[in-house]
Amino acid sequence: MLAPMVRFENVGMRYGSGPEVLRDVTFVLEGGSFTFLTGLSGAGKTTLLKLIYLAEPPSRGLISLFGQDLAIAKRAHLPPLRRRIGVVFQDFRLLDHLSAYDNVALPLRLAGKRDYAHDVEELMAWVGLGDRMHARPPTLSGGEQQRVAIARAVVARPDLLIADEPTGNVDPEMGARLIRLFGELNRLGTTVLIATHDRSLVEATRAKEIRLVDGRLVELRAPMRVAL
Amino acid sequence: MSDSKYILPRDKGAAPLDFVIAVMAFLAALALGASMIADRAAMGWQSGLAARITVQVLPPEKSSDPRGDMMREAGAALAILGHAQGISHANILSDADTDALVAPWVGKEGLTADIPLPRLIDASVIPGEKVDVEGLTAQLKQAAPNATLDDHRSWIARLGTLADTMRYSAYVILLLIAGATAAAVSFATRAGLDAHHEMVALLHQMGARAGFIAAMVERHYFLSALFAALLGTLLAAALFLGAGGLEVIGLEAVPFLPPLSLKWTELPWLLLVPAATALIAWATARISVLSVVRAIY
Ligand SMILES: Nc1ncnc2c1ncn2[C@@H]1O[C@H](COP(=O)(O)OP(=O)(O)OP(=O)(O)O)[C@@H](O)[C@H]1O
Ligand SMILES: [Mg+2]
Repeated sequence: MLAPMVRFENVGMRYGSGPEVLRDVTFVLEGGSFTFLTGLSGAGKTTLLKLIYLAEPPSRGLISLFGQDLAIAKRAHLPPLRRRIGVVFQDFRLLDHLSAYDNVALPLRLAGKRDYAHDVEELMAWVGLGDRMHARPPTLSGGEQQRVAIARAVVARPDLLIADEPTGNVDPEMGARLIRLFGELNRLGTTVLIATHDRSLVEATRAKEIRLVDGRLVELRAPMRVAL
Repeated sequence: MSDSKYILPRDKGAAPLDFVIAVMAFLAALALGASMIADRAAMGWQSGLAARITVQVLPPEKSSDPRGDMMREAGAALAILGHAQGISHANILSDADTDALVAPWVGKEGLTADIPLPRLIDASVIPGEKVDVEGLTAQLKQAAPNATLDDHRSWIARLGTLADTMRYSAYVILLLIAGATAAAVSFATRAGLDAHHEMVALLHQMGARAGFIAAMVERHYFLSALFAALLGTLLAAALFLGAGGLEVIGLEAVPFLPPLSLKWTELPWLLLVPAATALIAWATARISVLSVVRAIY
């Protein structure tokens, strides 16, 4: 059996000398799984995701990613791991000096790909940005920016997709469409983890849900493979 | 990577940074050129004086024929100088030459006949050769008791001190400006990098290696600093060449003061300024990016 994509064992996290935001978090994301992460605002969802996408090291506990124990991984080993993760940041983090198109193409350029124009255009059309490709992020609506961020996260077909509130700024119809995009990617083998407030999104699928309460993790639904 | 121009901001809004770098490079090039001129002047003075020895023969006080005795002693001294090691040639200054020398003080009327002026022997030292001044003095004392030898040692020493002061002042100014330039360039580069901070952090998050991000950013700063500094340096070079032009059109340089221009062959030294400037910008950009990335995790 393959090692799980993500494994947390008794992970604790605090920022600086502040209070512990995450406490004794233990869970596993199997390869190819599709999971929702829920919890009240401030519960620590973004913090948990940051630990997974290697933006912060944990204060204590053990994290392994793609079967690699991060505690013993050297700095130089982290960039290749990061390249296998697509991230939709809660605050998008688009580069304002690049067009929407260039923002989406960025991961492919970093990977040294050349003939990506068709893929990028097709994906942008799919998320409804076909006619906004050459606009700069500051001139896009919140929902449009969010879709650029999502397109950028999925364009390189990452092994692991982490999305932080990816449907917070779009109407329910577009939200459902984006979740379908994630489902499509999941069917192609990508492990998906989505943090959300949106109950209806979670209810509409039968995916696994894990919930953060007071910095601790509660599993609400048994893992299962679902067709979305 | 060929794609870096797509990733870095194209409208970099760095005009003030380029301007600061150009101005600092201009000043640094001026200081460097000035120190070269000071250096050359100091060397010129020292070698010019060191290459001459003067023997002065006074008319003997208790003599029935002071002028005759003086001429005889001058002849003897000339003979000694003529055979001395390290001296290329020596000659007794003629009456006319001597008159010319004292004319500014006593007027143009020939005085040589009435008041016997000392005879002067002007000797040239072969460049690079050492003259045995002590030995010569001893020999002269024998053959020409009223002769005194002056190798301009005290003059040379004083001029040397002056030249050294000038030279070291120029070096200190050059160093100060170089230090200020380095600080300004690295400060400006870091300010420019602040604007790129978000991009650097994002590329890092996307799995770009620190070295890759640094290479992309540092090349950008290297090139823009190089061009800005070249501009400033060219302006300084034009100024130095222009100063030479003034002399050509008749605004004669003050005699004895060094010419304020650089020769064509000396100008390439000024290229040290843009080279150093670009290197500083490059190193600052690299160090800044690497430290930003290291701070992230
Ligand atoms: N960089 C930080 N420094 C200090 N404290 C932080 C930092 N980021 C988050 N926190 C704190 O950690 C706690 C959890 O924050 P987090 O962003 O993980 O919550 P969240 O569940 O993502 O909230 P939301 O649903 O509003 O996005 C909060 O109390 C927050 O104040
Ligand atoms: Mg959050």
